Amino acid sequence: MATSITIDVPLNRVEGDLEIRAQIEDGVVTDAWAAGTMFRGFETILRGRAPMDALVITPRICGLCSTAHLAVAALALDALSGAVPPPDATRVRNLALMAEHFQNDVRHGLLMFAVDFANPAYAKHSLYREAVERYQPFAGSSALGTLRASKRILEIVAILGGQWPHSAYMVPGGVACVPAPTDLMLCRQILQQARLWYESQVLGCTVERWQRVDSAAALDAWLAESPAHANSDLGFLLRFGREAGLERTGAGPGNFLCFGALPIPADSAVRGPTSSGFLVPAGFVHGALNEPFDQAEVVEHVSHSWYEDYRGGKHPFHGETKPNATGRDGTKYSWAKAPRYRRKPSETGPLAEALVAAFPLFVDLVAKLGPNTLTRQLARLVRPATLLGAMDTWLTETTGEEGFLAAVEPIEDGEGFGTTQASRGALGHWIKVEGGQISHYQVITPTAWNASPRDSEGVRGPLEEALVGTRVADPENPVELGHVVRSFDPCLVCSVHTIGPDDRPLGRVVVGGSP
Amino acid sequence: MAVTLYWMQGGGCGGDSMALLNAETPDLIELLRGLDVDVLWHPSLSNGSPKKHADLLRAIASGEQRLDVLCVEGSIVRGPGGTGMYDTHAGEPRKHLTHRLAQKAGAVVAVGTCASFGGIGTDGEIEATGLQFHKGRQGGFLGAGFRSVAGLPVINLAGCPCHPDVVCGALTALVQRVPLDLDEYQRPLAWYGMQVHQGCVRNEYHEYRIEESALGKRGCLFFHLGCQGPLTRGPCNKLRWNRRSSKTAVGVPCFGCTSPSFPRPNPFFESRCIADVPLDLPEGVDRAHYLAYKGMAAAAAPDRLRQRKNRI
Repeated sequence: MATSITIDVPLNRVEGDLEIRAQIEDGVVTDAWAAGTMFRGFETILRGRAPMDALVITPRICGLCSTAHLAVAALALDALSGAVPPPDATRVRNLALMAEHFQNDVRHGLLMFAVDFANPAYAKHSLYREAVERYQPFAGSSALGTLRASKRILEIVAILGGQWPHSAYMVPGGVACVPAPTDLMLCRQILQQARLWYESQVLGCTVERWQRVDSAAALDAWLAESPAHANSDLGFLLRFGREAGLERTGAGPGNFLCFGALPIPADSAVRGPTSSGFLVPAGFVHGALNEPFDQAEVVEHVSHSWYEDYRGGKHPFHGETKPNATGRDGTKYSWAKAPRYRRKPSETGPLAEALVAAFPLFVDLVAKLGPNTLTRQLARLVRPATLLGAMDTWLTETTGEEGFLAAVEPIEDGEGFGTTQASRGALGHWIKVEGGQISHYQVITPTAWNASPRDSEGVRGPLEEALVGTRVADPENPVELGHVVRSFDPCLVCSVHTIGPDDRPLGRVVVGGSP
Repeated sequence: MAVTLYWMQGGGCGGDSMALLNAETPDLIELLRGLDVDVLWHPSLSNGSPKKHADLLRAIASGEQRLDVLCVEGSIVRGPGGTGMYDTHAGEPRKHLTHRLAQKAGAVVAVGTCASFGGIGTDGEIEATGLQFHKGRQGGFLGAGFRSVAGLPVINLAGCPCHPDVVCGALTALVQRVPLDLDEYQRPLAWYGMQVHQGCVRNEYHEYRIEESALGKRGCLFFHLGCQGPLTRGPCNKLRWNRRSSKTAVGVPCFGCTSPSFPRPNPFFESRCIADVPLDLPEGVDRAHYLAYKGMAAAAAPDRLRQRKNRI
């Protein structure tokens, strides 16, 4: 007789209030529900405020993606005001965002994802002792170096923007700072130091050597090529992850969304992977198709979210959010809405970026193995390799000759949006301004895409889908589910939505109300 | 015996934790080791299973596990209608959990402005409040009379985020029993007994009233661009951020994020002025004297400042 149990798994590593309910039969997950358990009401806080205030308020949505929120808020205000930032302002904005990504990718990869390898559940794994030595929280040998390197690169953000997290130096028309040549020189030195550390500890080889890894076979060859490769954090991820079966979990829906990011100024020597004009091209990959991205195709559903129902999905310019907390009665179970792109649940993040950009290694890995936990995490840990070269070029190209800030008229009326790739994926802000005040503000975060609940058609969100089929050895210590969830680098605190003026008190709500 | 610490995240963005990872000299890991702090739980950094965490919470509640320091990051979410159901942990309002832990803690530390005063969300529908203050009014979630097991009020380490060296310094002081004098908002005077304005690289421009009306220039941001540096207590321009700079140094106004009233309701990038002088003057300053002084100072301004020749 089949044994069926349901377990609740609060997974709140990084900032997050995400609780997973998983139904397990005979040791395998047969269904899963991802519940955002916190509501912060940012869009309401913004209503009635001055448009520029979005630059101060929205970074506080997420202490991890603070720079990305600032960047899209500034882009939305650029759009509203018609301002065109000078090329150096675009470079400075990009540089701060890229430093934030570097910081995120190594902190998540080595302080937050890899610590699960030191979980006692792996006591019998052949690499367990080494995993504990490397990644034991607050003590592992990789931890101190990662901590130091990740905070060093944030000094670039501070030199340009004053502090990390939570500055507001990106403004409509450009940036408020006027970095001197010596500031940029210092940024280059910090960058060089970050690169040396990344090459020696994380990759175990130069960025150039890593970039020649262009297929699954080339990855195996790279791993076998030298002890430096095998013993790097990247090599260890591959060795431990393969033995732990991470290539066989976490498939997800197979739809990959990237809003595009890091525009390349016309005068720059930097070349992107495509002719899109972005270092991180926008697009939507499903199956063998790689299609252009159109923000008009983004909608959000609320059928399984604690908001009053509307039919189907609504575009964020028309989004409405009225609370309807029904607890475990009915079908609602999350404070997150369900974003869909062309009606499809879509995964976003570094793997989606790599597939949309058609990086050969990831196209080949996904063709051979399908999307999986290990490949998703691999894409994140090697993303800095795609950023370091362009960062150095942009620092060299920044002269300030055309200034850092274009003149901007006060914003009185209109609507605009900004989109980028935050560290953990697609991020967009949609804003309407009436009479010089914000009248409507909608935010869709990367984690809203990845940790989405079911939509109006009952289709699971990407993370929910990725959990189905996962084998769990010990329901009291479901480390396998932790890997799948964390490979999406969730940050559920980001799932913030407005509620209307007619809100009513909730009764007792039990999170994760499965139907 | 190791000092035990539990880190709770409530209605916040995690920014204080992220900033804490940037702590300098010593690094966070070395600091915890050096002070012999046993981090029982930090949501970003611990790897215990959900069951282990649940067992830990039970052990603290029963008294079986000693809790020396409770750090709370993020506001106490009370909405809707006081239920706290906008922020839950395992189906229970998180504020209940925070309340239970606070009763058992040797010391309670509010890390960041949300935990200290409510911060973002105090005027929103989440009905946010701080641990022992609601904005500038004592009381908050735990009440004005609350004292920790060691007999201490909540120690408020304000800032959005709180500067990491302040968190490390306060932890060290608690562990090593170095006394911390607090101001009227229960912030340690060591870091909140100074204005953000002190140490600002634009001080000379401020002194002679060389003021800017647009961003991207070298002059003072106080008179027209909303800078709260002279009204706000905090160590930003003493400690600097990420070892390198500060908002005001790069041309971004201080938004007053260590203040009980943060975020203020009026626009961040504008100073409310009467007769071209800000309505909100530097803390403790008499308006008539200030007007006279600033008029004379502007007249005395040297050309190198008028022409913005001085670098910042």
